[in-house]
Amino acid sequence: MELFLAANIWEMMHGGSTHLPVALMLVSAVFDALGGVIRSEQVKDRFHAAGLFTLIAGTLGAFPAVLSGLILARWEIGGTGALFWHHVFLWPAFALLIALSVWRLIVRGRRSRAGFLIYLLAAFAAAFLVSAAGYWGGEVLLGGS
Amino acid sequence: MKRALFGLEFIAGVLAIVVAAVVVGSTLGSATLVRAAIEKARSDSAASSNQPQLSALVAHGQKLFAVNCSHCHADDATGDEGPDLHGLTKSDERIKGIITNGIKGEMPAFGKKLQEADKDALLGFLRSLK
Repeated sequence: MELFLAANIWEMMHGGSTHLPVALMLVSAVFDALGGVIRSEQVKDRFHAAGLFTLIAGTLGAFPAVLSGLILARWEIGGTGALFWHHVFLWPAFALLIALSVWRLIVRGRRSRAGFLIYLLAAFAAAFLVSAAGYWGGEVLLGGS
Repeated sequence: MKRALFGLEFIAGVLAIVVAAVVVGSTLGSATLVRAAIEKARSDSAASSNQPQLSALVAHGQKLFAVNCSHCHADDATGDEGPDLHGLTKSDERIKGIITNGIKGEMPAFGKKLQEADKDALLGFLRSLK
């Protein structure tokens, strides 16, 4: 019975933290894209700042999500069926979130237009990967098979 | 100035890839090591005991499984008409919900046949399957 109670704690932690990287990476990419098209320098900077903060918060949220997920999956990093597809999207998404955060924290506002465009492409790729990981995570918990 | 900016972005990119590779690599490596250690401990424990000590809950669940579930999921729960039930990753509530309500067109409902304690026992047995 203690084992089941312990499992519930990790389930709650996974359920509580796993939505942070999904939602925040999506809005981070959108904020940065808006910052790239808006002409007003002041508004542009604010969108980029919001993009940075949501990216960092999403990346920080990914750590408890990954830890609790690994414990729930009994430390399985691959698996079969929906769990396999969850992991196929999850690991590249996790790596990309960390890489994007490190790059942004080092470069800050000192980026070129080409550098920003490459970053934005990577940010939308991360948003797609983390959303796909979230979809397959939902299939693991609520799927029919 | 433009060259210096490109240099900073390039160095930041290389550093970002290295940090991501180290973090994700160490996470995957640690998980693999922990899983291997757990499996080794389990196999050592099973080898040292001639008769596995099943708890009363799991033993009751095993009996219920043999009567109600083994027709479709096979005697050893590795799957036949129904899926393999080893290493389930669904939540306890979800598994009990499937036992109670079944899956339309795929699995019958056992909500009327099994009491709550029976479902707990069945769940305990399913969780014991590795």
